Amino acid sequence: MIRVQQEAFDVGVEQQALLQGRSDIGAVVSFTGLVRDFNERPEVTALTLEHYAGMTEKALEAIVEDACGRWPLQGVRLIHRVGCLAPGDPIVLVVVASAHRRAAFEACDFIMDYLKTRAPFWKKEHTASGNYWVAERSSDHQDAARWEEAWNN
Amino acid sequence: MSLTHLNARGEAHMVDVADKAESRREAVASGRIRMHPETLALLADGELPKGDVLATARIAGIQAAKRTHELIPLCHALPLSKVAIEFRLDEPTSSVEVSATCRLNGRTGVEMEALTAVSVACLTLYDMCKAVDKDMEIGEIRLESKTGGKSGDYRRQAMSSPIVTGASRHADPGLALDTAAPCIHIKCLAELRERLGVSDIDLPFDALESADIAGLKAALTAKDARFAGLNEGRVLCAVNQVMGGDQTPLTDGDEVAFFPPVTGG
Repeated sequence: MIRVQQEAFDVGVEQQALLQGRSDIGAVVSFTGLVRDFNERPEVTALTLEHYAGMTEKALEAIVEDACGRWPLQGVRLIHRVGCLAPGDPIVLVVVASAHRRAAFEACDFIMDYLKTRAPFWKKEHTASGNYWVAERSSDHQDAARWEEAWNN
Repeated sequence: MSLTHLNARGEAHMVDVADKAESRREAVASGRIRMHPETLALLADGELPKGDVLATARIAGIQAAKRTHELIPLCHALPLSKVAIEFRLDEPTSSVEVSATCRLNGRTGVEMEALTAVSVACLTLYDMCKAVDKDMEIGEIRLESKTGGKSGDYRRQAMSSPIVTGASRHADPGLALDTAAPCIHIKCLAELRERLGVSDIDLPFDALESADIAGLKAALTAKDARFAGLNEGRVLCAVNQVMGGDQTPLTDGDEVAFFPPVTGG
């Protein structure tokens, strides 16, 4: 289940929905990304998230499919927000369920790494000293590359 | 939601505020006047023929706020407790940002006073500078915030760019609905859209030097020099919403998006 939305989400509700009526799931891992009040500059007062509607959903589906091919997963929920957000607001949620914890931990980590480098979202930060588009980080690409190496070995 | 200045018959009327509770009201409005960089420099150095431009525009704005009821038909005359006009010279955009704050303890809002103050301050700036620059442009006059009163507080969202861009014009990208003129639909997203000043553009398919992304970039650059920016820094592209590169082939009706590296999550 993949959603791109402006509204906030509730981690508990989403996890509950994923586990509803299931007794074969042995592990569920969830990751929530939040808006920080500091980044490239201090005092971030707001964040605008833009995306490429249509492509975003396809890219997220491809990432989840990729994860399902690498680990035996029993369910994935992926929610990404767009629009205007304030520091402390949740931006992204990944919930992964599997029979065993290792697969759930790894798949959750993988989905976030690929999302950060492959899904068409762009952040603009608003600060006291002006607004600017956030630049890509090489560490995100290094993180994503780990999975290529792990897969090829 | 209804228009309070219209009565039950749809005629304009002045709202009777006698029974409304008094509360502390404040409104902030802003606006901008763009000018040639040379004009802004003269203004900053106080070298314009009519003298102290900003001081004059400030007084004009304050006077205008006090006389709003004489200009806007259904506005009440208000005993404003405060009117403040501020100017900020913005070199990057070669403009003067004007903001006005109006306040009172009363029964009706002061946003019309703040908006009028900004408008007249901008007009005065125009009048003071027009001897050297007739191309000046006044714009973006708007309410920034409003507090007090029954309708509650209002604050303009910090966001100025569209929340969501790039929504497909066609339900199925790649399927040309318009058979009249074969063309490629091009989108520039996020920072690239702002940098190039282009959001959506269509290009006839036969304008392409070669039927791929490289050919499209060349045709765009030939049409408008701004598109040279597509080869500056890291610019990614997607064809029909799938990541592509310079060699990705194009066919009639394709949707091509150019954008900066992604930064979600």
